[in-house]
Amino acid sequence: MTPTRMSRRVFPAIAMIIGVAVSVMVMFAAPPGAAQENGQGQGRPGDYIAIDGKVDQGTYDGYIAYTRACLACHGPDGLGSSFAPSLIKRVQQRTFSEFSNVVAAGLQIQPDMVMPSFADDDYVLRNIENIYSYMKGRAAGDIGRGRPRVIDEAQGQEPAQRREEDASAKN
Amino acid sequence: MLREMKYAIATIGLLAATTLQANDNQLELQSNPEYWATQLGNYQGNRYSQLDQINRDNIGDLRAMWQFSTGVLRGHEGGPLYVGDGRLYIHTPFPNKVFALDLEEQGRILWTYEPDQDPRVIPVMCCDTVNRGLAYADGRLFLGLANNTLVALDAESGELLWEASNGDHTKGETNTMSPLVVHDKVIMGISGGEFGIRGHMTAYNAETGEMAWRGYSNGPDKDVLIDPQKTLMMGKPIGEADLGVSTWPEGEWKRGGGAPWGWVTYDPELDLIYYGSGNPGSWNPQQRTVDGEPADNKWAITVFARDPNNGQVKWVYQKVPFDEWDYDGVNENQLIDVEINGEQRKGLAIIDRTGFGFLLDRETGELLVAEKFAPETNWASHYDMETGRPVVNEEFSTFRQGVNVNTTDICPTAMGAKNMQPSAYSPETGLIYAGINRICMNYEPYETEYVAGQPYVGATLTMMPAPVQEGDQEGRMGSFIAWDPVEGEVVWKTDERFAVWSGALATAGGLAFYGTLEGHVKAVNIDTGEELWSFKTPSGIIGNINTFQHQGKQYLGVLSGVGGWAGIGLAAGLEDPEEGLGAVSAFAALKDYTELGGVLTVFALPDA
Repeated sequence: MTPTRMSRRVFPAIAMIIGVAVSVMVMFAAPPGAAQENGQGQGRPGDYIAIDGKVDQGTYDGYIAYTRACLACHGPDGLGSSFAPSLIKRVQQRTFSEFSNVVAAGLQIQPDMVMPSFADDDYVLRNIENIYSYMKGRAAGDIGRGRPRVIDEAQGQEPAQRREEDASAKN
Repeated sequence: MLREMKYAIATIGLLAATTLQANDNQLELQSNPEYWATQLGNYQGNRYSQLDQINRDNIGDLRAMWQFSTGVLRGHEGGPLYVGDGRLYIHTPFPNKVFALDLEEQGRILWTYEPDQDPRVIPVMCCDTVNRGLAYADGRLFLGLANNTLVALDAESGELLWEASNGDHTKGETNTMSPLVVHDKVIMGISGGEFGIRGHMTAYNAETGEMAWRGYSNGPDKDVLIDPQKTLMMGKPIGEADLGVSTWPEGEWKRGGGAPWGWVTYDPELDLIYYGSGNPGSWNPQQRTVDGEPADNKWAITVFARDPNNGQVKWVYQKVPFDEWDYDGVNENQLIDVEINGEQRKGLAIIDRTGFGFLLDRETGELLVAEKFAPETNWASHYDMETGRPVVNEEFSTFRQGVNVNTTDICPTAMGAKNMQPSAYSPETGLIYAGINRICMNYEPYETEYVAGQPYVGATLTMMPAPVQEGDQEGRMGSFIAWDPVEGEVVWKTDERFAVWSGALATAGGLAFYGTLEGHVKAVNIDTGEELWSFKTPSGIIGNINTFQHQGKQYLGVLSGVGGWAGIGLAAGLEDPEEGLGAVSAFAALKDYTELGGVLTVFALPDA
């Protein structure tokens, strides 16, 4: 899984992802625990599987992406820092479209509090849904601190599909 | 009015003197124990004051006289300057305001300077928008803004005299450091080691802002200002040319980091400046190998001794060749004269990020002592004193463990066993006093690609408290230590709940001072470390405690305002890996103790 960065051509793609996500959220918004209870793979942003401290591959990727791209400001495990707020709290108040919009566009809250745009960062863009799922799992208390383990396929759990495949399918 | 006239006359005298060398003014101010004219107290970086009005006998009476809110929320590093004109000069993090405050009117604002900077600089500052403060000489104040603009202000009026651009924030170059004035030059480094910048130290004419010289941390010798036949390494000429190119994979030196963002010290007799360079670009060591093998990545994490007149490098000492842990080499180089093996040496002492306390000969760069001041340090067993190289422990080598492998329980953390918080040295005791961090880490390198202006990190980092040793306070994540730089041993230590991220101060009053991340200013007995006094400021302290005397009264001044890497890393608390799931951790969350907000607190004895 080599992160690469793409140029401007990503931007229309993310706009489309956001657009699709908005309609998905409006039509099919489901409580975050739903997929967990059903034991299903998670097709919708914010869904995750967490069993005995183990998570699906997509949510694990969300942890890794968070740690690579977000932790430096938002603190370990989504808990917030002196520099930027807790994302665990934020995802409880923001839909996926709002969340992904901030990641793509950035945010200026006060003159000295600025979040950068990740619109040019392909790795982050590909993992927005995964990060959102990881944060939803953290917010629900289903995922603890630190690096989660991935659910063993032999246990009969379907590993998550890579999200960029979902996105490209929608495109 | 009388005071103003007196200083007006003094100013005229100084103007007459400026036709000589500009640093005469800074040297003269430093030699007056009543002043605190440069961030580290003197050129040697000793943060020592001869003032003793505040001492062990009366420290219990020390009171906060007044406080001043800077109106800025971010981490407040550095501290106030006092140059004898009845004012305190302070600065803030981004937006980098400067205030001249009247010491006699409880901090009435005499003037304010606020530059207009592009806020897009904020997210390219890796670890908060901190700034380590002002420099002063000949009636001018100098400040390096976040966006790399070096400004000169008229200290009397706050008027902008000139500005010079030292870098481009859209490429990830930023500034956090305090410049240093030497001779007629203002010397300033750069930040951005996490954005693949190419580090450099640059000198500007103090009168005009015109660039005088620039020495890079990597690349060909002509850019680094090295002469391989003359520049010394471990006491001998380097010999081989262009090691700043050949110790990197093809072209990687161009984004090789080595940002010198810490403190610069200066020896007026040898006429040499000293500073350390930061981590090499990309935290993934695999991307810095040559033919798949570790390469030195020169001159990252290197102590440089340069001629301040032309930037030529007199000697180099690379503390960590082929960094695998982000052990930035920027910590201050304290210039101290020592007796070692019966011989008087001009020493240079470092309480380093790596957990090692170094002592070098500052004339030649020879390594004299390298011993652990943080006992948990495990990335290297020791230094080979012949080669000057660390003997790395394979178990904690993130290169040997591999890309996409999480190497666990490395000590210290990338924050360093000590970060930029400057230490103090007392010539009376011969000891160095420093706030340190007791934190370890897991580190997982991953492949990353360089894009200008984007983070170029290539490793994930998670932290945990250092294992508690016998006699340690339960749940401690920091300590304040007295270090013998010649014997290479800790003389005493006192543990703190959080990493100690403030600059230390030593005084002739038999006291050492430091601040805590909860916000306490503390005074301890310099001989034992016993706490004698403390005061809770409104926010965590990552600034430095400075002292000065005005009209017969000794003051202490400190900026509080939590932030910096400590605030980012410790706000949520660290998890003890030894504890089971659900255990209540003894390791506290900083956010339970303090919130943001910059405040200057000025202390004095009420009856003095």
